[in-house]
Amino acid sequence: MQNTSMSSLEADVLVIGGGSTGAGVARDAALRGFSTILVERRDLADGTTGRFHGLLHSGGRYAVKDPSAARECIAENRILRVTAADCIEDTGGMFVSTPWDDPEYGDQFLEGCRATGVPAEEIPVAEALRREPRVNPGIRRAFLVPDASLDPWKLVWGCARSAEEHGARILPYHRVLDLEVDGERVVGAHIRNQRSGEEFRIHATVVINAAGAWAGQIAELAHCRVNVRAGMGLMIAMNHRLVQMCVNRCKRPADGDILLPLRTACVIGTTDVFVPDPDETEIRQADIDLLLDEGEKLVPGFRQARALHAWAGVRPLFEDTAAVAETRDVTRSHALLDHSSREGVAGFLTITGGKTTTFRLMAEAAVDAACQQLGGLRPCTTAEVALAGSESHVPYRIGNRLAAREPLPQAEEIICECELITRSMLEETIRERDTTSLDDIRRVLRLAMGPCQGGFCIYRATGILHQGGKVDQADANRGLLDFLEERWKGIHPILHGDQLRQARLDDWIFQGILDVEHLPA
Amino acid sequence: MSYDTVVVGAGLAGLTAALRLTERGQRVMIVARGVGATHLAPATIDVLGYLGDTRVGAPAGSLAALIAASPDHPYAHITADQLATAVTWFGAHAAALGYSGSVGENMLLPTALGVPKPSALAPRSMAGGDLRGGGRFLFVGFKGFKDFHPALIADNLVRAPLPLPITARALELEPPSSRLGDLSGRVIAGRFDADNLTDWLVGELENRVEPDERIGVPAVLGLRSGDQTWQELEKRLGCTVFEVSTLPPSVPGIRLFNALTAALRARGARLVLGVRAVGAHANNGHIDTIDVANATGTVSHAVGSVLLATGGFPSGGLELDSFGATRETVFDLPLIGVPETDRVRFAPNYFDPQPLASAGVPTDDLLRPVDANGHPVYTNLHAAGAILGGAIPWKEKSGTGISVASGYAAAEAILAPAAQSVSEAVR
Amino acid sequence: MNDFIRDSLDHCVKCTICETYCPVSQVTPMFPGPKYAGPQAERYRGAGKSVDSSVDYCSGCGICTQVCPQDVKIAEINSRARAKLWEQRGVPLRNQMIARPTVIGRLGTPVAPLANWALHNRAVRGIVQSIVGIHRDAPMPSFAGKTFQKRSRNHRGPSDAPAVVYFHGCGTNYYEPLVGEMVVAVLEHNGFRVIVPEQDCCGLPLQSNGNFPAARTYVRRLVDRLVPHARAGLPIVSNSTSCGLMLKREAHEILGIEDEDLKIVSESMYDLCEFLLRLHERGQLRTDFGSLPLTVPYHAPCQQRGHGIGKPALDLLALVPDLHMIELDVDCCGIAGTYGLKKEKYEISMAVGKRLFSDIAATGSELAACDSETCRWQIAHGAGVTAVHPIELLYRAYGLDRQGQRDLVTTGTQPARVSG
Repeated sequence: MQNTSMSSLEADVLVIGGGSTGAGVARDAALRGFSTILVERRDLADGTTGRFHGLLHSGGRYAVKDPSAARECIAENRILRVTAADCIEDTGGMFVSTPWDDPEYGDQFLEGCRATGVPAEEIPVAEALRREPRVNPGIRRAFLVPDASLDPWKLVWGCARSAEEHGARILPYHRVLDLEVDGERVVGAHIRNQRSGEEFRIHATVVINAAGAWAGQIAELAHCRVNVRAGMGLMIAMNHRLVQMCVNRCKRPADGDILLPLRTACVIGTTDVFVPDPDETEIRQADIDLLLDEGEKLVPGFRQARALHAWAGVRPLFEDTAAVAETRDVTRSHALLDHSSREGVAGFLTITGGKTTTFRLMAEAAVDAACQQLGGLRPCTTAEVALAGSESHVPYRIGNRLAAREPLPQAEEIICECELITRSMLEETIRERDTTSLDDIRRVLRLAMGPCQGGFCIYRATGILHQGGKVDQADANRGLLDFLEERWKGIHPILHGDQLRQARLDDWIFQGILDVEHLPA
Repeated sequence: MSYDTVVVGAGLAGLTAALRLTERGQRVMIVARGVGATHLAPATIDVLGYLGDTRVGAPAGSLAALIAASPDHPYAHITADQLATAVTWFGAHAAALGYSGSVGENMLLPTALGVPKPSALAPRSMAGGDLRGGGRFLFVGFKGFKDFHPALIADNLVRAPLPLPITARALELEPPSSRLGDLSGRVIAGRFDADNLTDWLVGELENRVEPDERIGVPAVLGLRSGDQTWQELEKRLGCTVFEVSTLPPSVPGIRLFNALTAALRARGARLVLGVRAVGAHANNGHIDTIDVANATGTVSHAVGSVLLATGGFPSGGLELDSFGATRETVFDLPLIGVPETDRVRFAPNYFDPQPLASAGVPTDDLLRPVDANGHPVYTNLHAAGAILGGAIPWKEKSGTGISVASGYAAAEAILAPAAQSVSEAVR
Repeated sequence: MNDFIRDSLDHCVKCTICETYCPVSQVTPMFPGPKYAGPQAERYRGAGKSVDSSVDYCSGCGICTQVCPQDVKIAEINSRARAKLWEQRGVPLRNQMIARPTVIGRLGTPVAPLANWALHNRAVRGIVQSIVGIHRDAPMPSFAGKTFQKRSRNHRGPSDAPAVVYFHGCGTNYYEPLVGEMVVAVLEHNGFRVIVPEQDCCGLPLQSNGNFPAARTYVRRLVDRLVPHARAGLPIVSNSTSCGLMLKREAHEILGIEDEDLKIVSESMYDLCEFLLRLHERGQLRTDFGSLPLTVPYHAPCQQRGHGIGKPALDLLALVPDLHMIELDVDCCGIAGTYGLKKEKYEISMAVGKRLFSDIAATGSELAACDSETCRWQIAHGAGVTAVHPIELLYRAYGLDRQGQRDLVTTGTQPARVSG
């Protein structure tokens, strides 16, 4: 039953999903002049994109096993370094043969890189160890590739803001309750604003399902079938950069073989476990141990280094045929499905699979296909136009925030000391993002993502939110308690050594000094 | 060098014990890796604030129930009389802070989030915040001081469960010629010491404070001059003024550390920071020398007794490695409250009971660490403070109480070897 | 490679204890504090150029590392960051100069009267301040004219006693040779034969001014001269607490020297008072002290506390009849080696020392004791008292000044006399 009093919005293109693919699609469509709306059930980049390791692939990882993926990666790598410069740190990448890896694989690797156009150069082991002094001194070969470190939140928000600059509407915390199907055509969606509870409709000429690992759930709403498997990958963030380059094991891709710098931390990843429900990602101790052990092989002493946080993301792995047990063998290339040719449902496309490195290419393909239903092809410009925030083409550098505080670091209140977030950065984000959720702010600014994991800044940020009149005392308290619960999910699985010291000091702060347990409702 | 007692750890438990030992004429050296938890915690003496979910009004009267529920609790090894004596003695010996209160009943002091927190003793600069009597409160924050949010305190406090109704309002003042935008509590305290911010504060408040209002300010009224500043404010404003503790570093805690170490210096105790006790040499279960690692190597000191007051996980007294093994870091002592390596140590929800929470050293009634059979590991090794197992002090609001009581009780045990042999004979 | 200095940042729990003790960040906003500049900023370093010049305002006193309960090597992280900064920008001439005490010493000694006149002449100092950048009011010692090395060459001590090696450092050599003679006299009084090897600067001023390569050269050269004695099992004593600490720990931890010779020298190094107290613990220290009816405030300098040996000077002086030592409770005098000499840091250095100066004044004593030479010069300058090494009090208590050794008056650093 349709509620006739329900308000509605109109658009050429409705994008479902606010990860890199969805945001990329929205930006691409908006740049081509289509009126565009993006809906995301939670915050942008709160799904797979915000939970990946952060590697901008050179293609080296796929050079042997999946040459076409490697070719796509190196092409997109080159484009993004220019158009998304502020999201990328040019760390460089290094593939190393540890004592556990067959050094002869290096020959296949080099050959694969040569065949796919991925620049790769073998360097002497001594030179590799000079560049990365912590890497296992037992490595037998080393190769340089143009891998880089990619900040997923900046990337998605850069796309979203670009899209907005071109007239698109970006609606995080808007859930698709149902798709509206008129005969053999999807004509729109029934949406709920998750914060206000308001429900409304969006009518669109084309609906693009960019829900990643959730794409099957969305497709079902239009009685279409998209077989996406969720491959859960575990990551652990370490307290500081144990390596300054993206270091990969030179072998066939497997678990725990990438260690890369991401902003102030460094991340080891990943694992690959099939999960029936992409929203159910329980972290198992065995997987933590596996990553720590693999980390130890790459960087001796890894188990003594400080682990900050663990999290799991789910890869969308598209398969058109029967299921296979080992998800890593499912193709990493993307899938664009036109449901009019598959199921006879017009106005509905699904773009899924793929990887963050190739998100732009996926978006281009999806919008190209949408053009056919929107009255003809309009040229894609996303390979040339810079993302919002990257207009100057200056690549991100790790020291940026430190440099910004000079010459008088105490000139302004620093709210999150670990991640050098000032009061004005915080207040501007609250205003710009129009959010009062500490977790949203966390993703934009990296609030509470440093060593103390919010031990000091969360009280401060809560006080500032409350003082600004954005939230009343009850919401402030609830926000603080929710944040403590949310962060604990990522902390408790890796709690040992220095991070346990920190967690206990944080217990003292929150429970012993502030007594959050007895806050009034 | 030889000492009657070497105290390992310079937190509240270690300093309390050292003070008691030097008072009785012992030659004491305190060795620590650094400054202890005094600088992190409010200087209130929290004996027992919660039994499970129930707020405790009378801490001394609730000890039996606590021990019944937690038989391994450190308080189970300290008699009620000892506890009362220790806390009273401590209040008198940290005279510079002017402690008030008793173990008989808890006051309720506001936290920096506006939650009434039970404390047995508080420095007089904080005690005026006792919420039990109800009344009208004004909370004053300083612009540029990120660690104190008066509006949130006021808004929460009026909704808190209290015996009598209160009203509360908030005010934020901008300190004059702020050096810069980022003011730490330590820097503001320094300005109260040096620049006389008191005049400014009185000027700002005298026309704003309403009759019968009590004024709560962040606990930053000076390090050296804190107590005088507080007295002057009360005198000149003609109303009750009180400090509210907030995030570390704790200015009242630093005052307490300074008061205790000054007394120790005056009695010839040696405090050596930046070193680490790494082990001991023992004969027949008796420690003869303790090894202390310094800039170049390890020095052995002959000792009569050793007091272990290294704290729990946050201070490095306990460590959990990445394989799940927990150990005491100086003597590798037996522990209680530690789940088996392959069992869950952390519950998935933050506020659920955490299996590793009460980990620590078990002791006998002389606060000597014991093995699984209840025998002292060393006859002259005692333990005090957060290294003791069986408590969850941040939930119970018992941390400083345990430190003071066990520090004092351990000192008494060290001072009374006669009692020691008697109690061994009884066993 | 095991980079345990940087790795120690992992232990930081942000508790801010270091910042509550940092004497510099309390008096100036130019230095953001040890936590900020140390474990916090270090997470932003490592790739690319240094971006935080503010770390240069760290004085290197090392208090942060001493008070840190988590074993974070805060001062060491800062020291390395400072060195990297100057490595990229080039160490300024001024810092190169004041970091080479032996060069200055060799230049000044032959022309001591002239050099001393210049050092304490207001007009000359004004010119030096504007051209070189050394503050006109900064405390400067006077050249002794004849170095300790030269003086000790003619000294004949006992020939068959157990030997101890004396590392006197540059301050003793060029400015305070009488202190060196007192050290020798006290050691000989206790039955030792004192070997004074030829020696040069330990490199510490170069290290604290960010020139690590030159500092390494100096310390290696010094180690080469000391190591034969250390290998022979002889103890090495030093009355310079900071230079002693350089050999004990900093050459390894800050300069990163991994060297067997350095290790052997480190393990043989004793602070002078530490060495004497150890003698006393073994019952080998002579305690034939005469009465010394004085009340003297004692300041244990930052670098002395860095040894982690307690306060042996106080334990020793407690043996002297009628001598009342007052243990001061102030962390830093502000000078931090060459820090307080610099024109942009002089005011900071004096502000840091203010509390110490007033606490000394409050004792009413005209004499103060302190183990470190540069700190004594600063105390004399700031508090207007005579500042002596504890050895002088022991020397006088032993009555060595009356036993035909030499007719000594107080040798301590007098309050600065800057002529018009």
